[in-house]
Amino acid sequence: MRRLLLASAALLLLGVVVVALRPPDSLSSTTGEQGQVVDESALAERRGALVDRVVFTGEDEPGRVTGLIETGAQQVFTQGISSPAVFRRLRDSLVIDYDLSYGTSSELTLNPAGPELADGSLNPFHVPAIREALNRLVDRDYIAQELYGGLAEPRFLPLSTAFPDYARLADVARELELRYAHDPQAASEVIHREMEALGAQFRDGQWRYAGEPVRLTVLIRTEDERRLVGDYVANLLEGLGFTVERRYRTAEEASRIWIATDPQAGEWHLYTGSWITIEIQRDQAEAFSFYYTPRGRAEPLWQAYDSAPAFDELADRLLRRDYRSWEERQSMMARALELAMQDSSRIWLVDQLNASARASNVEVAVDLAGGLSGSALWPYTLRYSGRVGGQMVFGTPGLLTEPWNPVAGSNWIFDRMIMRATQDPVALPDPFTGLYRPQRIVEAEVTVQEDVTVERTLDWLSVATKERIEVPEAAWIDWDGEAGWFVSVGEKYDEPVTARTKVRIRYDDALFEQRWHDGSRLSLADFVVPWALSFERADEASPLYDVAHLPTFEAFQRHFRGWHIVSRNPLVIEVYSDQIFPDAETLVARRAPTPQPWHALALGIFAERNGELAFSSNKADRLRVDWMSLVAGPSVPILARYLERARERGAHPYPGVLDELLDEEEIAARYRALADWHDQRGHFWIGNGPFLLDSVHPVEGSLVLERFDDFPDLADKWLGFSRPAIPELELGGPLVVEAVSGETAAGRAASFELAVTLAGEPYPLESIEGVQFLLFDGRGTLVERGEAEPHANGRWRIELPRPALASLGIGANSLEVAVTSRRVALPAFASHVFATVPPGGMEAAP
Amino acid sequence: MSRFGTSNRVPAARRGGWRDLRRLLLYTVKRLLALFVTVVVGVYLTIVIANMGGQVDDLRRVQIRSEAAEVVRADPAFQDLSSQERNEMIQRQVALEVERLRLDEPFLVRSVDYLQRALRLDLGRAEQMHSDLGSRAVRDIIVERLPATLLLFGTANLLIFFVSVFVALWLSRRYGSALDRSVVALAPTSAAPAWFYGIFLILLFAFVAPLLPAGGMVAVPPPEGRWAYALSMVRHLLLPVSAMLLSQIFISIYSWRTFFLIHSSEDYVEMARAKGLPSRLIERRYILRPTLAPIVTSFLLMLIGLWSGAIILEQVFNWPGLGSLLFQAIGHRDTPVIIGGVVIFAYLLAATVFLLDILYAVLDPRVRLAGGRQ
Repeated sequence: MRRLLLASAALLLLGVVVVALRPPDSLSSTTGEQGQVVDESALAERRGALVDRVVFTGEDEPGRVTGLIETGAQQVFTQGISSPAVFRRLRDSLVIDYDLSYGTSSELTLNPAGPELADGSLNPFHVPAIREALNRLVDRDYIAQELYGGLAEPRFLPLSTAFPDYARLADVARELELRYAHDPQAASEVIHREMEALGAQFRDGQWRYAGEPVRLTVLIRTEDERRLVGDYVANLLEGLGFTVERRYRTAEEASRIWIATDPQAGEWHLYTGSWITIEIQRDQAEAFSFYYTPRGRAEPLWQAYDSAPAFDELADRLLRRDYRSWEERQSMMARALELAMQDSSRIWLVDQLNASARASNVEVAVDLAGGLSGSALWPYTLRYSGRVGGQMVFGTPGLLTEPWNPVAGSNWIFDRMIMRATQDPVALPDPFTGLYRPQRIVEAEVTVQEDVTVERTLDWLSVATKERIEVPEAAWIDWDGEAGWFVSVGEKYDEPVTARTKVRIRYDDALFEQRWHDGSRLSLADFVVPWALSFERADEASPLYDVAHLPTFEAFQRHFRGWHIVSRNPLVIEVYSDQIFPDAETLVARRAPTPQPWHALALGIFAERNGELAFSSNKADRLRVDWMSLVAGPSVPILARYLERARERGAHPYPGVLDELLDEEEIAARYRALADWHDQRGHFWIGNGPFLLDSVHPVEGSLVLERFDDFPDLADKWLGFSRPAIPELELGGPLVVEAVSGETAAGRAASFELAVTLAGEPYPLESIEGVQFLLFDGRGTLVERGEAEPHANGRWRIELPRPALASLGIGANSLEVAVTSRRVALPAFASHVFATVPPGGMEAAP
Repeated sequence: MSRFGTSNRVPAARRGGWRDLRRLLLYTVKRLLALFVTVVVGVYLTIVIANMGGQVDDLRRVQIRSEAAEVVRADPAFQDLSSQERNEMIQRQVALEVERLRLDEPFLVRSVDYLQRALRLDLGRAEQMHSDLGSRAVRDIIVERLPATLLLFGTANLLIFFVSVFVALWLSRRYGSALDRSVVALAPTSAAPAWFYGIFLILLFAFVAPLLPAGGMVAVPPPEGRWAYALSMVRHLLLPVSAMLLSQIFISIYSWRTFFLIHSSEDYVEMARAKGLPSRLIERRYILRPTLAPIVTSFLLMLIGLWSGAIILEQVFNWPGLGSLLFQAIGHRDTPVIIGGVVIFAYLLAATVFLLDILYAVLDPRVRLAGGRQ
């Protein structure tokens, strides 16, 4: 018996060892499947995605990413890494590479109430001059390099340093950054002067007010590097003679204090704030109203803001886009930046960098703001370097976090990232500039009223102005739920209707040759059903009515002026609206209708009409039914039942509208294709993107995307966007320049040379938007500004005129250069220090 | 005489039987009542603590408002709204969410509602969370995670329990041997939790010598064949089970060994040895039999302990179990999910305690109802 037991135990142990030593399945399925090496011509022949298979698996621990990528278990991690310790490991690894993105910014939010708070204590941050002085007190380089471990860029202004507005105003920004550069002595002097003016006394190295120490409460967030930032700032304030109380709080605990309490109550004086943006904002003009005026939010903190009237008015005009030309806007922005620094209700510290980790042999387009998870082009650019095909494993912190449906399904960033791979938008944003480029659009014409300022950058669209834009009577403007039909402008209004903008979009000629993942072809009904559904969900009489949809719909309806199908094949649609975006490209992308598979939507519509499922979370909770998921769970059998019924009856959701657009053959073919799809893959999620959703394993925490064979575009269409083309600068010139007297100043005296390159090659001239220079004297005063001139391939020349040199005086000066590119929103900066010596001084020098 | 005697004895025995049954019933009712009150108190305390006595409502309101404000601010579709219109829109979104979460009702009312539904095992709908399959029913959310937890913790705990009991029994016969001394020496290693060993095991066997997966329950993507799937699960179980074994096995063997040693030195065991009974018989009849009650208690408590999973271990091994579910629920402050987990555990615990009361009487003849024969 004992021997038998021992033998069993030995066998068990042997089994365990065999299992352990068996080639790891997760590895065997990934390594060795890196596709085939191809040359450029073979690459140009391939259509659709460049890899065959992408597997997503749940992984929420960034600390393990390095190990997982190094062992080949995973190739890409979707979450940006912001921990300096993990980043160092990424940087040191030979087989891992990373891309940096800029979505998060860190700042100090100041309590502006006072000067005396409710308890009679003094709040120094009520005084704009003291707030302004804090800009010079903090050392942003130290914060970026030491506290954030190099994963941050210093930031002074309410504009993100990675977004286009900053690049457009690079010279103004540079000037302000130098004006507010780290100078603790100057900051201390201002604070002393202002504190004394407030009636405080500085005794024994400590500030006192009404006999009591001036006490400041610093609310410090604990989850990230802001803990260090909070301590650093608290130390600085203590060094100035304030008594500082540090309150360490998590997001939730802190929000109860800084957002929910009245600033006058004095629960806090300074908060280590942070803001996240997941896409490149091309227009940040609203930032001034949001961050510095009561218009930002209704909470007590914002209501306590009391900005200078001139700043308030300017911020309001920028918010309303009340300007007549682009030049006027830029000038208003420049002035607003200056006034924002004088106001300084917030002290901007750094733009935090997130590193998107990937194996070094993987290439993918990563969004400058949203990182990999926010990139619209990732499915179009993902590949093994120099190869096509193969499989990759993506680790992602969230997978199927909420139910997926195309109407009001999961909005989680990591779910949206996967969904994007299965969809093919009609226009896609450039990951480095945020400018939209056409995907299924051949051309677009934008017409705006004469008082509207819209800028066009790319040549796939045109912009024209018109005194009056009249909406055609046949255009659809509303929905008649009872009749199940769109209401035209002529039917709704007796008078002609006008709009501020008209966008005419011509889609690809081969648009209706394109196929959905289930093999059925696109049709006009795929454009019409989503529109009808949007209107019906806002119709109180409809069983699809959803109160959670109303706010969005009402905002849309405020500016919507009509929708008109000009031609069915090729598809040409005109959209009339009063909503303005400063970029014409954005205007078209936002207005262009995007198709959705009507037959998959129909199942959801039938299920919600019968009260079995709901598109939105809110409605699902109200009806106490399941939130619809086309991917997995209890929704799928319900939808399968409706598919069966719809197939039997040949039913579609909008008989009035679709009868004209659909014939029985298409209806039958669509449902047949969807039923086959469901039989094969067990879900109803279909799209027309470069990848299709092959299988879903919710409990195991993985899902599989397969390359869509019928995707129409060549695989290299978007490859040019895999890497940000950030200009690399080298500024050279004389170290010593002879000063001239103002009276004799004429002609040119000093010449500097700037080399603008990209990976060692000259930066294409046509991609350079501007090269501006700023000349500062030894006291940091701006003496001259101007533009450099191109004179050779990738080389620019800066000629400093004699009058400018004359006004420099004798001493050390600096020349700052800002280069802005059309291919990336990040500006590049370079500086050169030189000395001016008295006339003849150069000969005297050894 | 004998007839009389017989007739007198039968009614007395019957009376005794009825009396015993009455006592048993009374005891059962009292015990069940006491356990129910314990469950009620435990669950209500959980509700109050999970909501910080209602203070969570304030936190949620601020959070809802902030989220709505950020959504409106980030959406370009709303950018041309005036600040007043934006604020009105935010307010509407907030009102919808407040209504959905019933934050407009006093916490006391909600807490009583939570309690009475929980006691009826009507687990209801989660407020924020979903099951992996997309269901919002708390029952589905919990049931979905149960198999993974039972698999990992069932395997590990059963292994630990039986290995440690048998090894301890074996060691108790070899008191002072090299192996016994080794176990005693290694017992303090159990001061470190399983997740601590897990980190080292992952480092060694997943990264330094990549033989085993670093986490997850099955390969990515899951193998299609049933056997391949099972084999993949076994591979994924090896590291977490080893971590739990390393963490608990030595202290467990040490405890049982000490327990058996104490019982091995009882007079009746010495007497049995003196009588020359075989050691196996002594083990079975004189050591194991009297110690069966504590062994069964320990076993049953271990079984219901599976319900709670282990938060950090599951996080370390990316294991989709109940521990990480509870962790997420606490993070989301999803009261129905927290209550769902707790109330089921409370009922299981109460049922186990009740079962143990009965089992004790069956296993140990010395245990009797108060008032009965001792």
